[in-house]
Amino acid sequence: MAQIDTGGDSGKGKSHQKKMSIHVDFTPMVDMNMLLITFFMLCTTMIKSQTLQISLPTNEKVEKEQQNKVKQSEAITVILDSDVDAEGVPTKNYLYYYEGMPPVTEEGQIDLALNPMKTEEFLPNEANGAAQGMRKIFQERNKEVVERINKLKAQWKNKELASTEAANDSVYQARAKEIRNDSTLKRPVVIIKATPNASYESLVTALDEMQINSISRYQIDRISHNDSVMMMAVKGIPYGQETAEK
Amino acid sequence: MGKVKIKRKSTLIDMTAMSDVTVLLLTFFMLTSTFLQKEPITVITPSSVSEIKVPTSNLVTVLVSPKGNVFISLAGDKDSTYSSENMRAELIKNVVARYNDVYGTKIALTQSEVSTFAKTNMFGVGIKELKGWLDLSQEQRDAYIDPSKNPKAGIPIDMNQDLTKPNEFQIWMNAIYNLTNPNMEGAIKRGEGIAIKADKSTTYEKIQVVMDNLQTMKMNKFSLMTALKSEDE
Repeated sequence: MAQIDTGGDSGKGKSHQKKMSIHVDFTPMVDMNMLLITFFMLCTTMIKSQTLQISLPTNEKVEKEQQNKVKQSEAITVILDSDVDAEGVPTKNYLYYYEGMPPVTEEGQIDLALNPMKTEEFLPNEANGAAQGMRKIFQERNKEVVERINKLKAQWKNKELASTEAANDSVYQARAKEIRNDSTLKRPVVIIKATPNASYESLVTALDEMQINSISRYQIDRISHNDSVMMMAVKGIPYGQETAEK
Repeated sequence: MGKVKIKRKSTLIDMTAMSDVTVLLLTFFMLTSTFLQKEPITVITPSSVSEIKVPTSNLVTVLVSPKGNVFISLAGDKDSTYSSENMRAELIKNVVARYNDVYGTKIALTQSEVSTFAKTNMFGVGIKELKGWLDLSQEQRDAYIDPSKNPKAGIPIDMNQDLTKPNEFQIWMNAIYNLTNPNMEGAIKRGEGIAIKADKSTTYEKIQVVMDNLQTMKMNKFSLMTALKSEDE
């Protein structure tokens, strides 16, 4: 016979073919996988940041005649400001706003009696279901648009606009855009300004409110001398003192 | 009397099912997540209701620290010819050439310095210090651009409006705009290509410097990075 006697199991003279177990121990495999999972959980992020797109006007000087003048009755200027602590970190945010033109008399003086500037603490924009703070200001002024958008949104949620979901979405988007740009409605033009101390958060919140309240016309502008004089007056610092500081 | 036989149970557990689960989890993590990019400073972005996602390609991120240090990171195209590494290598050559041209310096980078730069995600040093910075080790480089260790870190920036003598930030941005990558220019024009990332508590003063510079360069469309917040918060 061609079999090689290994000598060990010569007792019975018959060699058993050893049956290999088909079970593989997966414990090390699991260990390795767990390590890999830990690695991925620590070194990666699932959160993708969102972006808020803005466009600023060009820095170039625009000829006076070419400037688009905003209708006085529609304009509202919002100035953001914050208290800062000793290290320059903003602590408390404030909001100043006025409607129409800044109250400048013919002599170029600021007279707050002409057009009062209002101030408000920067509150969370909603409490107990009612709008407050900045949201209240904008919602009131953009009432006509907000009401229409809300109606449309309700229809969109109930999927009444179109048969399929995708069509429902696109119809909603198109109609919402139409409403936002409908010039027959009373829509405000918001001019957002921020003092050097204002926190970035308040700026983003203000821009965000534009989206929430469906305001299509808004702009970020530089704070002017008149604005700061008015703010000083509201804060109760006399005009002369402010210029002396500068 | 019958003996009560205690059945001996095997302590071996079949790990196959467990292995299946872990592999599934692993696959999930690998597919859904993106790697954390190393940034010199961690910022907490403010939140907004905007649902536009940050693009992963053709993007310049301008990171502004609460103290006003400015850092730039560049992501190239999906097309490997214009990958992030290739774009960064091209960028640094153009930037150094332009800087030498404007300020009359003679900075020359070696091939290894260029390739080190190509592998760096976020950078923020003055162009004069660039050569020395790229020769440092990885840890030293990270420490050098960490604002908590080096308050002077960041790309020098000022309110310059004269584009014939641009400041360093303007040189960088201009070079990025003029890269050979065909999609970058379009992304910047649409306002998707530039994202400003800053901490909640940064004062507007610091952001305005960056915005002003972008405005001066006629890149007046850009995006601000925010975290998601639900509308009925």
